[in-house]
Amino acid sequence: MKENVTSATAFLLLLFLHTHLLNGQSAPGKPKIEKCRSPEKETFTCWWKPGSDGGIPTNYTLFYRKEGESLTHECPDYKTGGPNSCYFNKRHTSIWMVYIIWVNATNQMGRSMSEPRYVDVTYIVEPDPPLNLTLEVKQPEDEKPYLWLKWSPPALVDVRSGWLTLQYELRLKPEKAAEWETHFAGQQTQFKIFSLYLGQKYLVEIRCKPDHGSWSQWSPESSILIPSDIKTKDTTVWIFVAVLSSVVCLIIVWTMALKGYSMITCLLPPVPGPKIKGFDTHLLEKGKSEELLSALGCQGFPPTSDCEDLLVEFLEVDDSEDQQLMPNHEKDHPSQSMKPTHLDPDSDSGRGSCDSPSLLSEKCEEPRVPPPTFTIPEISEKADDPGTKINHNWDPQSINLEGKIPYFNAIASKSSTWPIPQQSSNHTLRSSYHNIADICKVALGTMNVPAVSLKKEENHVLNYSTTIDAVGEKTTDKQNELEHFHSKADQDKTWLLPNEKMPFMSPRPMDYVEIHKVNKDGALSLLPKQKESNANTEQASTPDISKEYAKVSRVMDNNILVLMQDPKAQATVTFEESAKETPQPLQHNQAEKNLSYCTSPPGDCRLQTGGLDYLDPTCFMHSFK
Amino acid sequence: MYTKRSLLKGSLLLLLLMSSVLLSRSVESLPICPSGAVNCQVSLSDLFDRAVMLSHYIHSLSSEMFNEFDERYAQGRGFITKAINSCHTSSLSTPEDKEQAQQIHHEDLLNLVLRVLRSWNEPLYHLVTEVRSMQEAPDTILLKAMEIEEQNKRLLEGMEKIVGQVHPGDRENEVYSAWSGLPSLQMADEDTRLFAFYNLLHCLRRDSHKIDNYLKLLKCRLIHDSNC
Repeated sequence: MKENVTSATAFLLLLFLHTHLLNGQSAPGKPKIEKCRSPEKETFTCWWKPGSDGGIPTNYTLFYRKEGESLTHECPDYKTGGPNSCYFNKRHTSIWMVYIIWVNATNQMGRSMSEPRYVDVTYIVEPDPPLNLTLEVKQPEDEKPYLWLKWSPPALVDVRSGWLTLQYELRLKPEKAAEWETHFAGQQTQFKIFSLYLGQKYLVEIRCKPDHGSWSQWSPESSILIPSDIKTKDTTVWIFVAVLSSVVCLIIVWTMALKGYSMITCLLPPVPGPKIKGFDTHLLEKGKSEELLSALGCQGFPPTSDCEDLLVEFLEVDDSEDQQLMPNHEKDHPSQSMKPTHLDPDSDSGRGSCDSPSLLSEKCEEPRVPPPTFTIPEISEKADDPGTKINHNWDPQSINLEGKIPYFNAIASKSSTWPIPQQSSNHTLRSSYHNIADICKVALGTMNVPAVSLKKEENHVLNYSTTIDAVGEKTTDKQNELEHFHSKADQDKTWLLPNEKMPFMSPRPMDYVEIHKVNKDGALSLLPKQKESNANTEQASTPDISKEYAKVSRVMDNNILVLMQDPKAQATVTFEESAKETPQPLQHNQAEKNLSYCTSPPGDCRLQTGGLDYLDPTCFMHSFK
Repeated sequence: MYTKRSLLKGSLLLLLLMSSVLLSRSVESLPICPSGAVNCQVSLSDLFDRAVMLSHYIHSLSSEMFNEFDERYAQGRGFITKAINSCHTSSLSTPEDKEQAQQIHHEDLLNLVLRVLRSWNEPLYHLVTEVRSMQEAPDTILLKAMEIEEQNKRLLEGMEKIVGQVHPGDRENEVYSAWSGLPSLQMADEDTRLFAFYNLLHCLRRDSHKIDNYLKLLKCRLIHDSNC
């Protein structure tokens, strides 16, 4: 029985169902509340989505209940929000309160109810897009143009009272660009865009967001065309700059063309060649060889002489006869055929004991002290006629410093030179030491060449030069001068007070030359060193004094020249001052009293020769100080 | 002669008076006080700017914290249905819409803000404590809770200063709503405990938004003369 009832019921139900289905009517489907939104946090709207309506007209009603209340209310406004919406106006809206909202769908067949939705207006704020977006291209002076955007907040939002605080965001792009360029504008209602492409049409959109809500939709597009003729000013400026620079370049080129060479010489000065001070290059042009050579410091005129070795490295002491010196002197003076106005009419001028070390020993015995004659020309390689080489313009009266200074320098800087032996011809004048007398002569000859090479003893040389004329009384002067000059001029070289003997020239460079004799012409005959054993040894009055050259080891007592022991010459000769009047004035004539001169030895001087051939300049120099 | 002198004196006096008046007016916008200054007075505008900044920040943190908690722990539990009218500060009669908020007097509104802030001192403290002990406590929620607690104290101090400036002397007793949700936070039942947290965070989010909104209203009303 029961089975029959059950089956019958099921059959009926199925029949009923089929009937319904055939008719197409059913209860409405469950609606669903899709979205609730408040544009200004004062009202809100909810939209629902209906379910299936079951084929028959369905009525939707919305109900809500507020938090803390038990009453159920129906939607106050179904129309304002559009179909399937419910609009809650200000009166019905409460903030910070949860709304429980649901929708009922009702039709003939039945009803259905949506899921309740819990809505707090606080968190569903979504404003409308901003309004009145205006675009303007602004181009201030001296500045780049920019796009100026301006807008206003949406109409419903109350920003003035602070109920809502809006923040804006805009985006723009050239019309044909693919991506937008987004800018956040904060709470301001204007914005400037600087990076623009000229001649392009730009599209701009803007949206806003409340302080604790959702972003609005983008506003409708606004477009603006950026003009392309901006920055004409810059172009003008560039044109002006280009013209100006071209003008400047033209001027420079023109100046270079006109004065190119002088400018080049100014910018790149020519490398100065070696210049001899006091040496007038015009002399070369003029062809006055005498003057030229005198300028060069050569006495006489052998073309092959280079007149460079003027400074002596060491002095040799030789005890040749002093008379040899005299002829040298005499020779020297007349040899200056160039300038007949010789320095010293006195044949004794320039002679002295300080002439050469080789003469010292010889001069010791000779009371007469011929002043040293600085025959620089002799020093040059003029074996033939040293005298002729002497081309000093020894004008005792003419005191011309300027011209002679370089000459003097030339002398001082030269290597050792030798007075040229008169007879020993074909000597290459590469002697290693030179005659102080010669040097002094040169100094004098150039007359007030104030020993520029000495640099500091100009005055002294001046003094000496003037005094050198007095041959007789001032031999010592000369000697002093020479010594002084030598010592100061070239400290590398060794000096020895010139004795009255003339040094001999050696035929070899850097060798000693022994003065053989001095003839009446003043020419100095020199013998090579190797010959000294043959020549002039008999002239040495002092037997113990060999013709070997001795070196001064030291000077003592202001007057005594101590020579080094010469290994060959066993005898030591002490060169002493014989306290003659000649040495005295010489010494006194010196401006510097500290000069310890080996004054011209009248005769009883003895030359002390050391063993060495060279004079140690240091000990020599000390004596001078 | 005499009248000229008197005129001169009078004009000088008037000048002095005017300058004093003008100078007194310019006192309003003083700069921020250097530390250690005794009689320094920060301007009301600066105080409100700072307060609004803090309240905005606190609400942002609360909102994030709630959303995070909701995603992690409250899905499918239907907490929202139960968290109705369960905030401990609902007894405080706060304005519920813009009109009510604009009608209330600013002093009352300031006091209301103070009350709400004070009401949250204790719950925030316990929230931090309990979040730490929570199983698999997420660091972000804990950090946010700690930050909110700290900033709430600062906001309270600032608000008290504002009240002291706006209507000094009218110092009410410290009225606030007591919170009694601690036992729920410490319940052994996970569901109950989680709902307690959820409720607390939900109420915190709402109240922080209220405070923020009230302060912004007050700022625009008092500082900018309703023309923000």
